[in-house]
Amino acid sequence: MNIQTKPPHTAAEKAILDSFAEVMGQLPGDAPVTAARDKLVSAISNDGLPTRRLESWHYTDLRNLLRDVPGQASGAAQQVDPLVRGSLVLPLVQGQSADISVPDGLELSSYMELLASGEAASRLVARGADDLIGRLNGAFVMDGYSFSVAADQAIEEIIEIQSTQSGGQVHNRFAAGFGAKATATVVDRHLGDKGQSGLSSAVTTLDLADGADVTWIILQGCGEADQRLAQLNARLGADAKLKLFVINAGGKLVRQELHVEAAGEGAHLDLRCVNLLAGDSHTDVTLTLGHNVPNTTSSEIVRNVVLNRARGVFQGQIRVAQVAQKTDAQMACNTLLLSDDGEFSAKPELEIFADDVICAHGATVIDIDHNHLFYLMARGISEKTARGLLVNGFVDELIDELENEDLVEALETLIEQWLADHG
Amino acid sequence: MPAVQETIDQVRQIDVDQYKYGFETVIESDTAPKGLTEDTIRMISAKKEEPEWMLEWRLDAFKRWQTLEEPTWARVDYPKIDFQDIHYYSAPKGITGPKSIDDVDPELLRVYEKLGIPLREQEILAGVQQSKIAVDAVFDSVSVVTTFKEELSKAGVIFMSISEAMREHPELVKKYLGTVVPVTDNYYATLNAAVFTDGSFVYVPKGVRCPMELSTYFRINEKNTGQFERTLIIAEEGAYVSYLEGCTAPQRDENQLHAAVVELIALDDAEIKYSTVQNWYPGDKDGKGGIYNFVTKRGDCRGKNSKISWTQVETGSAITWKYPSCILRGDNSRGEFYSIAVSNGYQQIDSGTKMIHLGKNTSSRIISKGISAGHSSNTYRGQVSAHRKASNARNFTQCDSLLIGDQCGAHTVPYIEAKNSTAQFEHEATTSKISEDQLFYCLARGIPEEEAIALIVNGFVKEVIQELPMEFAVEAQKLIGISLEGSVG
Repeated sequence: MNIQTKPPHTAAEKAILDSFAEVMGQLPGDAPVTAARDKLVSAISNDGLPTRRLESWHYTDLRNLLRDVPGQASGAAQQVDPLVRGSLVLPLVQGQSADISVPDGLELSSYMELLASGEAASRLVARGADDLIGRLNGAFVMDGYSFSVAADQAIEEIIEIQSTQSGGQVHNRFAAGFGAKATATVVDRHLGDKGQSGLSSAVTTLDLADGADVTWIILQGCGEADQRLAQLNARLGADAKLKLFVINAGGKLVRQELHVEAAGEGAHLDLRCVNLLAGDSHTDVTLTLGHNVPNTTSSEIVRNVVLNRARGVFQGQIRVAQVAQKTDAQMACNTLLLSDDGEFSAKPELEIFADDVICAHGATVIDIDHNHLFYLMARGISEKTARGLLVNGFVDELIDELENEDLVEALETLIEQWLADHG
Repeated sequence: MPAVQETIDQVRQIDVDQYKYGFETVIESDTAPKGLTEDTIRMISAKKEEPEWMLEWRLDAFKRWQTLEEPTWARVDYPKIDFQDIHYYSAPKGITGPKSIDDVDPELLRVYEKLGIPLREQEILAGVQQSKIAVDAVFDSVSVVTTFKEELSKAGVIFMSISEAMREHPELVKKYLGTVVPVTDNYYATLNAAVFTDGSFVYVPKGVRCPMELSTYFRINEKNTGQFERTLIIAEEGAYVSYLEGCTAPQRDENQLHAAVVELIALDDAEIKYSTVQNWYPGDKDGKGGIYNFVTKRGDCRGKNSKISWTQVETGSAITWKYPSCILRGDNSRGEFYSIAVSNGYQQIDSGTKMIHLGKNTSSRIISKGISAGHSSNTYRGQVSAHRKASNARNFTQCDSLLIGDQCGAHTVPYIEAKNSTAQFEHEATTSKISEDQLFYCLARGIPEEEAIALIVNGFVKEVIQELPMEFAVEAQKLIGISLEGSVG
């Protein structure tokens, strides 16, 4: 009774499988890597794209949303100026790495080399049956970077991973290791091309050793027809501190997964996420955060601005293990829904097995506060400007928490520009 | 902050091995053979002397149920249920429906006496006048007796078992049954539609304020039976009714299934208040036995300015899967959900609510308190959504949970979906929202901080308990002292 028949492959699923058949011969890697890729592709073929029946994809029914998968052909992407002058740029033009010389204390190699090094196959595994991004990226990954910062090293310049894409498909992987007490600031930037529709995936792995202090900024500036599937996995050692900033300002279909494990006592995560959503886009930020040992702390603030017919999703799951006493986790998700055609869905989830913890989450969906608007307008500021100011203040607050002033300025300019373009 | 001793003691008092209603009554009964086929359904329908359309409705539901899959998304874990290993009908011998109290087997009456349920009208009259309360007593698959029927009918209120209503008021049943919870709404609701055996029917006509509290008391007695009841409450324009529901079952090593459907319909300006004290047998301290409680409860605020309020105190059942919901269809309608869920032993609770805002200027409020102890798992799962046309929808949600011991789990899974820019949703699951002012006020008067917090939170829990009608407030009283300081999401 109740035998479920497997639905036939959708056009997008077929396109992914065809695409793999087309490029598999050119993908880098040794024999175990090739075997790992085959395994991931057959998992995609078997399970298909995730639907809303999978709890972790509840609001992003990929089977429905991912309609067309572009071929490999692409336009001409070009490297651009870094966000902050003087940054060390690790370019990826249409997914291809370049030879870059790096300062002392930093070790760098391309992911393509890593794939051929004989130890990469173990990295090409999915997180679970619902990990479409891990599967897709693992199967198709062509290049990326792997770098590590030596213990006690403070990297002064901002490292900017700059991926520029003009249509076609780009699948990159990044591995970053930070030694004990190392400090660094990394901008992880992906830019699309306005006129092209591209598909990109990225899987990033961060490993923070004890006492490392890392600021990691994900800046997603896809073109309005681009589809992006990205995943960040981070493990925090004892007393390690990760300040994670995520800014989504583009794309047609975007899913950014963040999986963080607080694995050492005293570890701390700050997540500040700004989602600027306009047009017909669908943007999903999904966080899972594991407090696995005692005395770890985290604070997450997600701010969303929704315009036009945009749809936004935030899923945030905090898990507190039985041994993780004295956990302090605070999560907030605030949305300014400025359009009647827009949508925002939030699922802030707590899963707690320890009895002496402080965990809280809050979620609000509101329009602009009319009292605030009135206050500004009573002072002679036009309604449009007043609204702009309030929206700006709503998101800039999070950016202000960055310590580097050049970065704050660059990001605020970017946000202002976005609001001016869409407001 | 961990739980204080007082709280731990309070929860201990209602621990699973303290279950007071676990006695079994040996009573001769008519039981259908085990298993579920079309014949079982035909037999139930025949026993109930149902009209033909009802039988067809059931058979249709059964066909659809066979194509459905058991849901697995809830955070509950139990061995697969063998739906063919259950008796779908069991009734005390000689009883096929409610009759006069004098015809009821004295053994049966003693059961209710033991449970403290007043079945004799005069007894209550001799007691406190104002707490007059009409009871529909459902024993396994049948309604045994319904009290105060005459007095209620003078006011125009129809209160009877649903089997009776199908015979006496088929037009009402036909008009409303399945309009809130459609036949194929979910796996258990569909099963219920196919095999439901009894339950209560309430109809409050236009402009009538029901003169007394109505209540149904469910008792599972027979071994290996499932109880599938169906309740339908309709409040016409401007009507008001308060309805209470209680449930208990004997202590047994096997698990028993309870899959109910409750439908509420509130028309213009009507108000329905539905309260539950759920105290099914929770299993023993090793997690053996207990009731599987899979319930679909939904209220439809169909008319403008209508209001539906759910209040629940959940302490029983091995597994609870229950989401009393409100569909806020009428403009200016309001939905409320107040819940205290306490899990002990190996109990698993996955409960919460849904507030679906469809009409204009609708508002809803959710207050949920979960307390888990022992090896239990307690999940709040709630959905709040505003439809595109639901302008000015408002929701406030607060859910707090408290863990006692480190072998249990507390989870919060809210789903917040806004499709309208004028919607205002606030969800919080935190203790920091205890007003600083209140705390300061207490501290300034020399009350130590912990006591002050307990005082404030107790006041708050009391507020939820006060939503219960007086009769049930007594039963819930033992929970009042439970303080929730140190709550976690």
